[in-house]
Amino acid sequence: MLQYVTINMDGALLRVAKGTSVLDAALEYGVCIPHLCHVPNLSDMGACRLCIVEHVVNGKAKVTTSCTLRVQEGMVIKSNTDKIQRLRRNIAELLVAEAPNSRAIQDIAARCGVKTVRYPFRNEKCVLCGRCVRVCKEMFAANAIGFVGRGKERRVASPFGKLSEFCKRCNTCLEVCPMTITPCAGPMKPGEEYLCNKCESQLMEIASAPDQCFFCDLGEGFQCSRH
Amino acid sequence: MPPRAIKAILEGRRSQPQQLIEVLQDVQADYGYISEEAMRAVAEGLGVQPLEVYRVASFYKAFSLKPQGKHVITMCTGTACHVRGAKLLLDQAQGQLGVKPGDMTDDGLFTIAHVNCLGACALGPVVTENGASHHHMNPGRLRKLIDNLRKEEKAEVSHD
Repeated sequence: MLQYVTINMDGALLRVAKGTSVLDAALEYGVCIPHLCHVPNLSDMGACRLCIVEHVVNGKAKVTTSCTLRVQEGMVIKSNTDKIQRLRRNIAELLVAEAPNSRAIQDIAARCGVKTVRYPFRNEKCVLCGRCVRVCKEMFAANAIGFVGRGKERRVASPFGKLSEFCKRCNTCLEVCPMTITPCAGPMKPGEEYLCNKCESQLMEIASAPDQCFFCDLGEGFQCSRH
Repeated sequence: MPPRAIKAILEGRRSQPQQLIEVLQDVQADYGYISEEAMRAVAEGLGVQPLEVYRVASFYKAFSLKPQGKHVITMCTGTACHVRGAKLLLDQAQGQLGVKPGDMTDDGLFTIAHVNCLGACALGPVVTENGASHHHMNPGRLRKLIDNLRKEEKAEVSHD
């Protein structure tokens, strides 16, 4: 039998099944927490850090990723404070500077309120979100690609740089990859990266009604309603 | 000592995935590096996927995926050694051997490596050659060290 706990999310009391993550609980109740590396029904690894929330313990707020935080009876979560917005904007800014060549990431940057990018654009092909790695391992039980190397050499690779014999050629790794969604104006050339921010006008509506979910078109493939 | 076969290394540890790092350490100790064939054999022996073996082997610095030369020359590039000119030593070794750090010379004699600190900061700049430390190095002494090692190798070859 499912056991339920009650958590306090931004002042609202949510009744959620035991064992779910705070992010899943928030999405279920329509609380918009931006996220990139989270894929429904897969384990979470907290790679993108976008889904940070404040977890209040004994009056002290601890910033942590909501996807790796399990719900507990009576826990207090604040998902949209000024501090969280500031931190999240900075994380999104770093993400878009690392890999601007993706509509998904540009949308997330717009949604998190990034106005200017203070970091040099690097135009990387991978943000190490681990979506492909986890979908390959957990959904298709193939384990054909994984994280290889350490530190700045960390990358997603197949064993020995060759196609794994366990690969089922299902191409789901490409499907879940945020980098395969090209920007609206086409792929950027190296040296010509920019912050798109053209969807900013749509964000005005969200700002005018902060307690509603607009089922935004922003971040297609990554939005809250479709996860 | 001739390297043991992978089979001998795996003896008594088959189908025990928790032994992966120990087995890889033994392969590294015996062969000096971990080849793709070795990794595939280890994966088969321990019953884990090749990807897992590759991930572990590429993660730890103690495992080398490229063949190592007979003499591994390790430059310390920690703070103390750096301010006393470790960069010059690295340049000297690279220029003299014609390889980048981490690579092996074509004759299979030398590999250049650099580490962040060897813990002998008072003796810097420190260079180790197969574990033997050389203190207060400068480019001239490093050149002589490499030349001497080359000479010894040539003498051994002609002696054989």
